[in-house]
Amino acid sequence: MYELKTLLPQFDIKLPTCMYHLKNVSLAADPLASGSSTSATTSASTSSCKLEANWISKTGRNAATCALDLDSLGRQIQRLLKDDTASVAARQEKVLKQLEELKAQLGQIRAGLGVCGKTFQHTTAFQNGGLKEVPLQDVVINGHPNFIPYALLALKNAWRDLYTIDVKTFTHSTMADIGPAAREFEANLAKIPVNPALPKISVTLIWKNCEHTEMISSPTMYVPIYGEVNIIRYLGRVGPAEYRYEGSPLCNEIDLVLDICYQLLRCNTHKTQVAMVRLLDKRLQKQQYFGGSQMSVADIGVYSSLIRMPAITDKDLTPALLAWRKRAKLVVQI
Amino acid sequence: MVEEKENVANGEQVSKKGAKKLAKAAKKAEQKAENASAVAANNAGGDSAEDHAAGKYGLSEMIQSKDKRIERNFVPVSELSGQVGKGLVWVRGRVHTSRAKGKQCFLILRQQSSTVQCILAVGDVISKQMVKFAGNIPKESIIDIQAKPVAVSGKIESCTEQSLELSVEQIFVISQAKAQLPLQIEDASRPENADDAEGLNIRVNQDTRLDNRVLDLRTPANQAIFRLEAGVCRLFRDILTEQGFTEIHTPKIISAASEGGANVFTVSYFKDSAYLAQSPQLYKQMAIAADFDKVYTVGAVFRAEDSNTHRHLTEFVGLDLEMAFKYHYHEVLHTIGNTFTAIFKGLRDKYAKEIESVGQQFKVDAFKFLEPPLILQFADGVAMLREAGVETGDEEDLSTPNEKLLGRLVKAKYDTDFYILDKFPLAIRPFYTMPDPNNPVYSNSYDMFMRGEEILSGAQRIHDAEYLMERAKHHGIDTSKIAAYIESFRYGCPPHAGGGIGMERVVMLYLGLDNIRKTSMFPRDPKRLTP
Repeated sequence: MYELKTLLPQFDIKLPTCMYHLKNVSLAADPLASGSSTSATTSASTSSCKLEANWISKTGRNAATCALDLDSLGRQIQRLLKDDTASVAARQEKVLKQLEELKAQLGQIRAGLGVCGKTFQHTTAFQNGGLKEVPLQDVVINGHPNFIPYALLALKNAWRDLYTIDVKTFTHSTMADIGPAAREFEANLAKIPVNPALPKISVTLIWKNCEHTEMISSPTMYVPIYGEVNIIRYLGRVGPAEYRYEGSPLCNEIDLVLDICYQLLRCNTHKTQVAMVRLLDKRLQKQQYFGGSQMSVADIGVYSSLIRMPAITDKDLTPALLAWRKRAKLVVQI
Repeated sequence: MVEEKENVANGEQVSKKGAKKLAKAAKKAEQKAENASAVAANNAGGDSAEDHAAGKYGLSEMIQSKDKRIERNFVPVSELSGQVGKGLVWVRGRVHTSRAKGKQCFLILRQQSSTVQCILAVGDVISKQMVKFAGNIPKESIIDIQAKPVAVSGKIESCTEQSLELSVEQIFVISQAKAQLPLQIEDASRPENADDAEGLNIRVNQDTRLDNRVLDLRTPANQAIFRLEAGVCRLFRDILTEQGFTEIHTPKIISAASEGGANVFTVSYFKDSAYLAQSPQLYKQMAIAADFDKVYTVGAVFRAEDSNTHRHLTEFVGLDLEMAFKYHYHEVLHTIGNTFTAIFKGLRDKYAKEIESVGQQFKVDAFKFLEPPLILQFADGVAMLREAGVETGDEEDLSTPNEKLLGRLVKAKYDTDFYILDKFPLAIRPFYTMPDPNNPVYSNSYDMFMRGEEILSGAQRIHDAEYLMERAKHHGIDTSKIAAYIESFRYGCPPHAGGGIGMERVVMLYLGLDNIRKTSMFPRDPKRLTP
């Protein structure tokens, strides 16, 4: 290879004394750095830098043609790191300690407010500093007071610790008087408090002179969902993870039980009702609950359907069903 | 003479038109003369025979309170069904239609909303001349008849009293109507049935109706509408009085425009000028400051807006209320909402007949509402609109199409025609509205909507004089003009809120009619000052 002439000829640069020195990182050595090293400097790093500069300038002067010497560069870096690593490491330690303290504080605050650990699953936020709290779902259910949707009360109780269902009741102008049973239902709904810490589902229940219990989720996509059982299915999908049955292996079983409930609600004669009850018993067999060992929407469906059928007496129910009902009553509390 | 001059001056077209007009006028005069002679001939012909029912019919002399005639017991048409077989009764009513055919005359008698068929047949009691006289009575004349209610075998479809008819024995005309009526009651009460291609399509124009309001108001639908309007006022008064409200009457001639100077009528007041009140707002608040606690007022409101729309009048009746509350303006909001719900329930239960009457002529959708009334937040309303694809800002006022769309969305979701929107943005409300303490963007104000149109605008008013001055300055209002208003709050005033509605608009929206002039008895708008 041929040798290159130095691009920058070495010349004297008069450094002003009012400025402070930065660590010399470039290898195009500053010969005057050596000159200014005689001035009184107290910082060790700068003096070491000066020493470096001196040393480099010496070597630089010796080998004026090659400004970029990888070896010398490597040695310079190592020296810099060695000297400053300690201080950088010390600073990092301090910052890490502060982060730890902040985390501990947040944890305390969280414990104090009683936040549910599953915050990542939904959009609810607390009203802190102007953040608006938005309910998960906002649905309207139209029902006739003669066919009270007990499933709402059952779900409210079953999900007491998981989700909160805020039910507001209205009477439509097509209904003159809702009757004592509906009023009692309203009173029972009101007894359960709305827990602002849990994710919220808003339900507006309107007593109306309509044929089927129907649910409207959005006014722009007006496709109502008919039937209390289907409303249970919908709420199950938007509800807490424990009650979402689509992914579980018992999905078909639960759907089957809910379908039996649907048919049970449509039975007019006692005979057909008893036949349905027998079907239910076959599905229950020896299990604790209809969906296995845990409470599921199928149990909610069967329980609320049975309340709606006062014609089915305890005599019609098998001992297994009676035992199940006692168990379910503990959760559902109706 | 004049015609010829016109001919020469304006050329051929006018002369043709002029000639046509002359020809028409001549024809009309000819026909009139013919009719008159025919009538005279008829009368003459009839009079020639002997009249055995001479004193039992005829034009009665003008009633100047000469006789008391207490022996005549008058029965309203609606109660006639109870009088069948009980002998003779007297009935006073209007001639709805009358047609004579040979020896019989069928006359339909109308009394407000009820109609009954009367029959005169030549026999021992009734003479031929009487039948002819009855057939010639002009429509809308007021008559007294003495008749016997008789049950009929078949139903009379064309009357409201379908199971009986009156067999007339005496008939007198109390007040004769002009022969040529500017509009026919039958035409005015015909339902607007666009589907029925076979039926008669004669309608009466709204302008014609309003010019001849006296005749137009006699139609059964109009009778029902104004009785319903009376019901709204009565229910408003009753419900509020029950809750401890006091009725007050505020002045309509005021010295300064209350809500902006643009839309006021000026009146000359002796040497100065004064204004007609745009709303009783200021005086309602003064009444609250004067310890009346809960007040309401029913009175005229004058708005000089040059708007010729289907829902604006220059003069209408305002039902206003104002209430002092303890700690939260929702106490007042719920009171107003519940008052409305109670009015709707009262109309639904007690005025069902009137609503049905209106439904005979106009298409009426039953009014749906929820109890307790539905209250949505303004932010939720905006969210619903955005979900439907409408771009609107957080602090932007709802434009009329947006209001209507929101009404339709709420109707689709909750199936209610009446709802309340709470917490409006502060920027779009007047200066005396109290801002929301938790969020400076919003205010303690609310609007109520019926069928997607706004009927009430209300808010918590600022009751502190200093704060009021501050807010007025913020809105750029000259505080010297409203000095008297601010002064009234300096002597201790409780926190209060309220709102006002237009009675005509409420009735129009309750029935689902298309024009507010239908619900105002003698409407006033920028183009109409009479009747």
